Amino acid sequence: MIERRAGIMSAVLFGAMLTVSGMSVAQTGRDAFSQPQPTLSGAERAIFRSGQSLFHQAWIVAPSREQPDVDGLGPLYNRLSCIACHIGNGRGEPPRGTPDVMRSMVVRLSVPGSDNHGGPRPHPAYGDQLNPDGIPGVPGEGKAMLVWHDFVETLEDGTRVPMRRPELRFRDLAYGPLGSDVLASVRIAPPVFGMGLLEAVPETEILRRASSGSGDAIRGRINRVWDIVSGTSMVGRFGWKANQPGLSQQVASAFRDDLGITSRIRPDENCAPGQTACLTAPSGGRSELSDRQFDAVMFYMRALAPPLRRDTANPRVRRGETLFAAIGCASCHVPTQPVTPGNAGTTEIHPYTDLLLHDMGEGLADHRPDFAAGGRDWRTPPLWGLGLTAAVGDQESYLHDGRARTLTEAILWHGGEAQRAGASFRALSADDRNALLTFLNSL
Amino acid sequence: MIVTIAALLWTAHAHADDARVLVMTSYPEVMTTRYEQAFELAHSGIDLQIIWKRSNDAFAELSKPDQGGIDVYWTPAAENFLALRDRQAFHALTVDRAVLPGRIGGQAISDAQGFFEAFEVAGYGLAVNRDVLAARGLAIPTRWEDLAAAPYAGLIVLPVPGRVGFAPALYDVILQGAGWEAGWRLISRIAANARLDTGLGMIDSVVAGDAAVALAIDFPIRAAITNGRRIAMVYPQPTAFLPAHVAITTRAPHATAARTFVDFLLSPAGQKLLTHADIQRYPVRPDAYDGSVPGAVNPFALPPGATFAYDGDRGARRRDLIVAVFDQAIARPHDRLQALWRRIGLAEAALARAPDAHRQSLLDEAKALAGFVPVTSAGAVDAAGLDPRQHWSRQIDDAQERALAIVRQIIPEQ
Repeated sequence: MIERRAGIMSAVLFGAMLTVSGMSVAQTGRDAFSQPQPTLSGAERAIFRSGQSLFHQAWIVAPSREQPDVDGLGPLYNRLSCIACHIGNGRGEPPRGTPDVMRSMVVRLSVPGSDNHGGPRPHPAYGDQLNPDGIPGVPGEGKAMLVWHDFVETLEDGTRVPMRRPELRFRDLAYGPLGSDVLASVRIAPPVFGMGLLEAVPETEILRRASSGSGDAIRGRINRVWDIVSGTSMVGRFGWKANQPGLSQQVASAFRDDLGITSRIRPDENCAPGQTACLTAPSGGRSELSDRQFDAVMFYMRALAPPLRRDTANPRVRRGETLFAAIGCASCHVPTQPVTPGNAGTTEIHPYTDLLLHDMGEGLADHRPDFAAGGRDWRTPPLWGLGLTAAVGDQESYLHDGRARTLTEAILWHGGEAQRAGASFRALSADDRNALLTFLNSL
Repeated sequence: MIVTIAALLWTAHAHADDARVLVMTSYPEVMTTRYEQAFELAHSGIDLQIIWKRSNDAFAELSKPDQGGIDVYWTPAAENFLALRDRQAFHALTVDRAVLPGRIGGQAISDAQGFFEAFEVAGYGLAVNRDVLAARGLAIPTRWEDLAAAPYAGLIVLPVPGRVGFAPALYDVILQGAGWEAGWRLISRIAANARLDTGLGMIDSVVAGDAAVALAIDFPIRAAITNGRRIAMVYPQPTAFLPAHVAITTRAPHATAARTFVDFLLSPAGQKLLTHADIQRYPVRPDAYDGSVPGAVNPFALPPGATFAYDGDRGARRRDLIVAVFDQAIARPHDRLQALWRRIGLAEAALARAPDAHRQSLLDEAKALAGFVPVTSAGAVDAAGLDPRQHWSRQIDDAQERALAIVRQIIPEQ
């Protein structure tokens, strides 16, 4: 609505007021995933804004006289800023089919075998991630695309669901062929809110769930991954395959692998041994992300609040929630997790994840081991904020490679340990399916 | 095709490899990514690469003999475009003025010499929390002058131009609308009602109700409204919509691809993309306004008096001057200014109750001294050659002290 009166041009729109409850925030616009936890003090909000600024910062080619504090991009990189992939702090978007290329997702690369710490063995020419772009003088590694193959799945009541299967392709590879033994894993940028709360889930709780199981075919397992700071193997908690032990290593690795920005935890540039131009390119110093900047980004990441659930009194939401548990979804998407003391009085959170690895079947397999995670294994992704995906971004995309355009598609891809839950969903009546989806959209 | 390169020299530098185009910009990546994707989908044979730099770094790079290999400069930095044009850094463009008028009313937004073209415009105005104003019994401000009134004391947030990129242009809109001396007097008085801010939290302050009004560029305010924040965007009279530009470099290695990209930016598709919820700039093509964008105005169809013939060249050339004057005359003595203008307000009220020609004359002199800036309107036409900070602080302090002394003559301190 545009309001015009004598002497005034005023574009006036009024939406819902921001309300807060506990550690979540009730905000439903495009910045629904960008709110700080409501308990922050004024001084803490200033640090939050500083971290937010760095998360949005487009990093620049070194050297810079004007902004030496944000130079050091690359030499090889995927994007210039964190926010470019984590759109609105939410999911990335997959390419729209050829000739579109990946812009907010990455391709992890390796060859068979393990590195010295049990992790993937980097590709000898390209390293452990395809970086499409390089700073001037450094050739980008190449472009990755997804070719979509459409098909239809028919549910038990005859409902036909359009589906699509991705096929990974490369073009303009600048450092030679990838080779027939390359292992590639496509991973879309995940939402980044609520990670401080996930970090606060006690490790003992994750271990307890891994050892207890749920009694049927569900066998959640932990990933044991290398912790750079301590120099030991730790429980993996973050990443599509739980291949990062903690938030600080996750953030440092994203800065280094995606932007080419070094930090105290990842101090080396992201150049493969044979990439001469990359190895001799100008650097923004060591480290390019200063300790002060790193701490601000960490504070921001830890303080980004999950959105508050909506419409919880709706009978259809309640019925959907009951069905969610009844058909077995909640066995892995565990609604409630305890958190350690020190989180503003909060003792539990509702992320809908067990933080464990599960065999998700051949349909979702990338066939690329990642520490203890096998080629069919994926960590249960949190579901909080799921219903705001469409509000925050331009398109809905779910699962590790964004192949699912709807929640129904995402559920139908569930195989392996989730086969039984997927089959139960296929057998639901249309009304029950809708109730289940209404519940998911309330998260 | 909208844009053609009029000069022929580019062919000498054109590279056979036109499968890519290097674009230098300071636009946020949430915006450039959407343009990159839309452009590459429309022109699948061209790879667009963004080189991100702020204005000083960009100027240095584009001043190098090879211009850093950059093909296109695309950014809101009017002063850079003027200075680089004067260094023959750009090719001349020929633009179809039937679809791209290059002006809004009496205001030119594109280069008169044709070396750079307006790509989008942004307005300057107010983020307003109507609830806070209503609680104080205040109406929504409609003119910049309204913010100088005593009831607004403590309710305004004002950006410091040395710390906030859009602020020099914001203040120049006020200065050109009111005139140099009167404009600084007005800014000084508004500042006395305001808290000075370095930018990041201004609109949040209005949303939270900590302030009633923030002076700002429009797109973050419009984005906040789109996201459901209970604030209003007000364009006070008179305001202006200032352009960001695009140009093709003289040494563009990929001149054909550069031209294709500029064509795309100025095409209906490229202009429509400006209305995306995460971008929210105003198109420079009148035919891109179809009334479908909520919360937007059409700068090409505003009522008389809403805008004026803002001189973009003048504004760009005195940007640094405005930063320096604000720092010296307003930010540095801000506490003193607040006390001074408060006493002037009391004197105005006293004279309103008991008019007196002599004391009125003294009050007029005090107001002039309170808003004194050490550069005349003639000197402010072009800041080149000025030594901005020499003796300024002493002159300003003297003027403000004299103003205070005069006010004390009108209403002696108790």
